[in-house]
Amino acid sequence: MAQALIDLLKSQFPTAVLETHSQHGDETVVLDVRQWKAVAEFLYSSPKAAMNMLTDLTVVDYPDREPRFEVVAHLLSLSLGHRLRIKARVGDEAGEGANIDTLTEIWASANWAEREAFDMFGVNFVGHPDLRRILMYPEFQGHALRKDYPADKIQPLVPYREIPGIEKVAPFGRDEGMSFGRQTHSRWADDSEDSQAN
Amino acid sequence: MEPIDIELDEAELELPEEPMLLNVGPSHPAMHGTVRCVMELSGELIHQVDVQVGYLHRGFEKMCERGTWAQVFPYVDRCNYVSPMLNNVGFALACEKMLGIEVPERCQWYRMALGELARLSDHLTCDGAMAMELGAFTPFLWMIKGREMVWDIMEEETGARLTHSFGRVGGMAAPPTKNFKQQSLAVVEHILGIVSEVEKLLYGNRIFLDRLEDVGIVSAADAISLGWTGPCLRASGVAYDVRKASPYLKYDEVEFDVPVGEKGDCLDRFIIRLEEMKQSARIIRQAIARMADSGPINVVDPRIILPPKDEVYNTIEGTIQHFKIIMEGLKIPAGEVYSYTEAGNGELGFYLVSDGSGTPYRVRIRPPCYYITGGLERVITGQMMADVVPCFGSLNMIGGECDR
Amino acid sequence: MPTFKLDGREIPFEKGETIIRAAQRAGVDVPHYCWHPGLSVAANCRMCLVELAPPPGRPALMLDVLRWDAEKSEYVVEKKPKLVPACQQGAAEGLDVKSQTSDHVKRARSAVQELLLLNHPVDCPICDQAGECRLQDYWLEHQGTKKRMHDEPIHKPKGQVFGPTIVYDAERCIVCTRCVRVSEELAGDPVLSVRERGNLNEIVVAPGRKLDHNYTLMTEHVCPVGALTSSDFRFKARVWFLRSVRSVCVGCSKGCNSYTDFDPRSLKVHRYRPRDNEKVNKYWMCDVGMLDYKRIHEGRILEARTSGESTSRQGAVARAAALLGETRGKLALILSAEHSNEDNAALYALGRTFLGATHVFYTGRPAGQPDNILLEADRNPNTTGVLSVCPEAKPVTELGKVVASGQVAFALALGSALPDQAVSASLAGLSGLVVFASHEGPLPQAAHVVLPAASWAEAQGTFINSAGMEQLSERAIPPQGDSRPAWKLIAELGQKLGHPTTWKRPEQIQGSASANEVRA
Repeated sequence: MAQALIDLLKSQFPTAVLETHSQHGDETVVLDVRQWKAVAEFLYSSPKAAMNMLTDLTVVDYPDREPRFEVVAHLLSLSLGHRLRIKARVGDEAGEGANIDTLTEIWASANWAEREAFDMFGVNFVGHPDLRRILMYPEFQGHALRKDYPADKIQPLVPYREIPGIEKVAPFGRDEGMSFGRQTHSRWADDSEDSQAN
Repeated sequence: MEPIDIELDEAELELPEEPMLLNVGPSHPAMHGTVRCVMELSGELIHQVDVQVGYLHRGFEKMCERGTWAQVFPYVDRCNYVSPMLNNVGFALACEKMLGIEVPERCQWYRMALGELARLSDHLTCDGAMAMELGAFTPFLWMIKGREMVWDIMEEETGARLTHSFGRVGGMAAPPTKNFKQQSLAVVEHILGIVSEVEKLLYGNRIFLDRLEDVGIVSAADAISLGWTGPCLRASGVAYDVRKASPYLKYDEVEFDVPVGEKGDCLDRFIIRLEEMKQSARIIRQAIARMADSGPINVVDPRIILPPKDEVYNTIEGTIQHFKIIMEGLKIPAGEVYSYTEAGNGELGFYLVSDGSGTPYRVRIRPPCYYITGGLERVITGQMMADVVPCFGSLNMIGGECDR
Repeated sequence: MPTFKLDGREIPFEKGETIIRAAQRAGVDVPHYCWHPGLSVAANCRMCLVELAPPPGRPALMLDVLRWDAEKSEYVVEKKPKLVPACQQGAAEGLDVKSQTSDHVKRARSAVQELLLLNHPVDCPICDQAGECRLQDYWLEHQGTKKRMHDEPIHKPKGQVFGPTIVYDAERCIVCTRCVRVSEELAGDPVLSVRERGNLNEIVVAPGRKLDHNYTLMTEHVCPVGALTSSDFRFKARVWFLRSVRSVCVGCSKGCNSYTDFDPRSLKVHRYRPRDNEKVNKYWMCDVGMLDYKRIHEGRILEARTSGESTSRQGAVARAAALLGETRGKLALILSAEHSNEDNAALYALGRTFLGATHVFYTGRPAGQPDNILLEADRNPNTTGVLSVCPEAKPVTELGKVVASGQVAFALALGSALPDQAVSASLAGLSGLVVFASHEGPLPQAAHVVLPAASWAEAQGTFINSAGMEQLSERAIPPQGDSRPAWKLIAELGQKLGHPTTWKRPEQIQGSASANEVRA
């Protein structure tokens, strides 16, 4: 069923569909980021698609890829009972220039979902009416779910008290607890200025 | 002495013209302790509201990227701590979908029975708390008594009352205990009794009904656009239930109805939960009737399931198997999946990305009440200040799940 | 290049190569215990058995076997192909090899694996190999079944000391004879051999001897199980907590490629492992190099010193700047063959370009005995590199002459060692000596100002080996104590003296090899 939908998308937007795949029964379409909103609007309004619910929108960070972020949205049609996953890739290696159109005008659920994606990954949703942090506090620096944000980083709002003889240390090592199947060669080889700063 | 109720000409009163800004929460009983609402009031009317969540954010998704796949279970427990079993099973199903395995039939019935018990606990808590917040304390005590019974079963089965960490990829941590069937059936009976008592107590109570009826109406179109699922969506008249729409486990083999509301007001959301508890009871009875008394509950696969402890301690094969699964983690083939189940609050989705290693690359949880809370602003704008309490209560925001 | 088929995939091979070698080169791993690319073929573990399709037009060589059929309660006659070890079978054009895709091979491997674990002790929790053990990996991959034998396993000696570096556990041993072959073929010292037969066999040291050649740690390195353990690494760390970076051994001028394994929590380096490089060290490293990691934590200078007194780094830099402010052209530079190109280039740039040093020398550790296998006489990793930074640099032994003649009164030096004790005397004649050193030694001892430099494990650096190959060594741990990479300290000193040595990254240092973007 969703395959027919993909064919429909391909015929309607021949340049927007970059790739498609299906895994575990989930049909996925990777879209050109410039036509993200147009395709979404079509999926919402076309009677053949009738995607009336945006169940979820999130981001996956692939720091080794260019573009680095994959914005992933899961759509559901309650009337036709089918689902579709749409993706678009944004952002350069440093995470800059990650701009993508907002879907808030189509689905109200995009409001908080996009705010969270902005909060956690720093993806900028162009045209969002209220793009501020949602789960983290406004003073928070960086974007916590990016792969290069160290899990052991501490950001105190209030500086720690200095108690003689007590050394406040980070709760975890950088990749403590990670299974040893995953090696982190390159991250340790970083010899840049900031990693050696005091 | 002058009478207090002097006739006043309202036009002569000097009332402040600019709206008042009122901050409610995050540590306010009506905010369930974790949400902050900054409201702009004009008199008692709410003009504008900014709902701020995140006070319970614990970096769930970041933590999941650090351990093994199996180590995610305790974390999902703490997302919805009112019905952790549903989260446990939801995550296990997502992993199993990626691995392409299906748990034995006995385990599927077991998961269903436990899950519906957890749903009972979820709805009992929500409706009980909602009634209590409106001053009806008795139903709360009754319902919490019912929830305690559910937790007794959970304690017996899993060893923990609240956060069970009982799900496993490829099965459950332990098979059902001997008394499970008997005790569950008895508890279901008790809870149905509580439900009917609550109905008798509240459905004829004018104060209670007046505070809920026609308050916080959400149209079906609005609910869909806001991404609402579960009881809140069904209260608005949309008969969408994952258990019916895309059945998982054995939900296609049991009989149950999907209760649907008419108006989408707070009363509908309250009643839907009571009705759903009756349906859950039906499902539990069917699941228990069909669950075999013996047989495996875990898949047979050395890559996934831990060996029994005596094998670990006494044979090298068992030691190696244990070591591989614990230290490297079970390996899930590279790829991505979106797997969804019906949790207490609606569609609980897991979008998992695996790079083929023992550690998840990305675990995205689609928390049903994040989107429901996202609609709170729309629900209470234009309402009276006092209506915030039933509105918020009827949405059943679970801080752990919303903020993660 | 001719090719053969392995599980349907075309594998190119060179004439005379075995199936397993060609497959490994193509990135396909045929499971094996006893085979090692750098050793002769023993073909005794039988793990790499593969099925060969018969030549076209010829019938397959099949053996009749009886299989118990539980359903029929009767033996049934079946045919089974003759499997061959991939480590011994030469590759031939058009050969059709089945490894993963053959059920017969699968069954054979499972049986081999079961046999190897038959008498294996339940040692994983106390075994150093756990986490990088072939028995564990292959059990999951090729066997996955439970124990069927419930008799008491055969017991053999545990914890036998083979020599100063190796402890042997006969119960864990699968007698693949890799260690025997390393001793014989790599070290040329056939000190190990196999005793007894069947499940009683074990590895023994020749009577009256100890396992004490210069490649004993290689016997441990090639051991696919936890039978041979290094007494140095034993019980120190669990391998799954360790992280690795690609490094270059600094024990001698050979420049063996290695991995530095360190614990990211305690920031301690625990061992080196050889890293395969066909052009330098093939698969090996010598014991001298393998144990050289200890110097990363031993004998270090972790704080700045002026006139023998500990001081802050800033204070020492200021003192050094004051000393160097009055050199009046009588300045000599002492580069170090122990340090990377980056450090040497930084010192050379500061000394020559900005301070007008007139004489350039280089120092290093004294020469040692070569073993004519890997270990070279020059015990410095970067002599060639120093001479490429400054081709006219002279050995530091010639410093005495210019000091005596009064041409030089000040020196700016890198490194800690001196090739000859006699040089110390000439250092005493200097009125100012500033040293950037990572370790205690005669040079910092004679210095007026010592600045704590980071060791090779604490900074990224390039080294040029005796064969002229430039190789990159990655940073494992952050600098210990108050130390910093020498080139950063040099930049700091240069800036204190008012020179534009504002290098932020090693590439910015003029003349450093990394400026040319050359990577080995």
